[in-house]
Amino acid sequence: MSIIQVQNITKKFGKFTAVDNISFSLKEGEILGFLGPNGAGKTTTIQMLLGVLTPTSGSIHYFGEDLKKHREEILDQVNFSSTYTNLPWDLSVKENLTFISYLYTIGNRKERLKRIAELFRLGNIWNKTMNELSAGQLTRVNLAKAFLNFPKVLLLDEPTASLDPEVAIYIREFLLNERKKFNVSMIFTSHNMSEVEDVCDRVIFINHGKIIAADTPENLAKTIEISHVELFIKDGLKRAVQYCKGKGFSYRLDERYITVDIHEREIPDFLRDIMELGADYTEISIDKPTLEDYFIQSVKKT
Amino acid sequence: MKLHRIYSNGLKLWYIFIRRWERMSDAFYWPAMDLLIWGLTSSYLRRYTPASVNVVVMIVSGIILWLVIWRAQYEITVNLLEDVWNKNLINLFVSPLKFSEWMASFILFGILKGIISLSFTCALAYLLYKVNIFIYGFYLIPFGVLLTMVGWGVGFFVAGLILQYGTRVQTLAWSMVAVISPFSGIYYPISILPAWAQKIASVLPSSYIFEGAREVLSKGYVDPNKLIISFALNCLYLVLAILFLKHSFRKVLDKGLIKVY
Repeated sequence: MSIIQVQNITKKFGKFTAVDNISFSLKEGEILGFLGPNGAGKTTTIQMLLGVLTPTSGSIHYFGEDLKKHREEILDQVNFSSTYTNLPWDLSVKENLTFISYLYTIGNRKERLKRIAELFRLGNIWNKTMNELSAGQLTRVNLAKAFLNFPKVLLLDEPTASLDPEVAIYIREFLLNERKKFNVSMIFTSHNMSEVEDVCDRVIFINHGKIIAADTPENLAKTIEISHVELFIKDGLKRAVQYCKGKGFSYRLDERYITVDIHEREIPDFLRDIMELGADYTEISIDKPTLEDYFIQSVKKT
Repeated sequence: MKLHRIYSNGLKLWYIFIRRWERMSDAFYWPAMDLLIWGLTSSYLRRYTPASVNVVVMIVSGIILWLVIWRAQYEITVNLLEDVWNKNLINLFVSPLKFSEWMASFILFGILKGIISLSFTCALAYLLYKVNIFIYGFYLIPFGVLLTMVGWGVGFFVAGLILQYGTRVQTLAWSMVAVISPFSGIYYPISILPAWAQKIASVLPSSYIFEGAREVLSKGYVDPNKLIISFALNCLYLVLAILFLKHSFRKVLDKGLIKVY
């Protein structure tokens, strides 16, 4: 069942088209990644999904209901978190989460706030004002805010930016766990491609306001044929470099390590030629194309 | 409208009120300063005015009645600015909160804060100058309602401007209401104004109330036409201000300004 159904939405600001006739859906329990370079139209799309920006044309349905007509009922079951939004700076974490909790229909408010404080490890900052918190702590509070109403749909705009790796992993696991336990559907934007690969079931790649591709992270990565071959060359590094230049391969040097970007099918020939040139390598690693490669390649193309 | 959502924003305003010195000071400090300065000035002037005219009562009660307008508009405009300064609009409007609930919270919190601030000012006026605001008797009720309506009208209009033009016009949150004060005849009769200014005064609902208040002091009653005209003008301006405010919010949603705010 589609939790969100977006049909042909377009947003124009004067003559500029920020989002150009895009359609997509979000299934129950699905985590959908939104990728694209800066200014691609991701944030504009998310704003329209949240009802804080009116589309020029097209429709957005949640749970089969039109967002325009059923805004209150829908938004009671949706929440949003972004690293780039603030809560009132001189109120404490407790005060902010308390007043926001009253915006939603929540049964046992006190109990819910207590549980959220535990889940997001807010105990030691509970009575601190927002201007006393570090960037990572602010992100945690923003995320906690997004879970106050047991949302069925979560829109997360770079939710783990500025978090320590350990906390970022905890949050990622928490999100996956919430999905597993409560079938929460999520739309997720991040500049951390490996995070998107780990977390998202499906990715929509958007650029210049249009959907360029939509598939699983693995399938998108597979469309890129370039692999990265890294060699530690003990002897004959100059010859190897000359060879790469001659063949027109893109390469990077780091002391005696050379990383060559090469089509998968050309790897055997490349390795044989390097050997024949007398370049003696002692270490080798071959990295398959990743979502990041897809991202870079797609941005270059478009 | 859902009460819990109105309460939510009211709770936030209460937290801000108890945490911020400037919010406390605007409720107590400035009214007290106004009373001290103008009360002392009027006490001095009383020595040179006929005994039949109690200039202290006129000026001090003028301060208190003006405070009703000022508070009513201030609670709308400055509380809206709080959300703009805090970039909090996105948190509010990604929730089910309706625009009307947001405004209702400003109004209800404004009434609560207004009662606190006015009670303090009235008590101080009595303590310092023996001026009892209840001298107006039951007329205080229509005066209070009509002056509050004036404040809301100005507040909604300025809120609409702030929504459309942002903090560039934030100074209007404090200054706009002052524009109508010289034409309202707070401390003097409208008849002393030049003819062109009297024309402006005639379309201001506040001028009828302050004239009426002076009438109560001199004659003991108010010409009911004054109250009716003031009410009709207030209704007209309130409807126009609310339409403008709604139009401004639609523009905010159309331009995506909630992210900016």
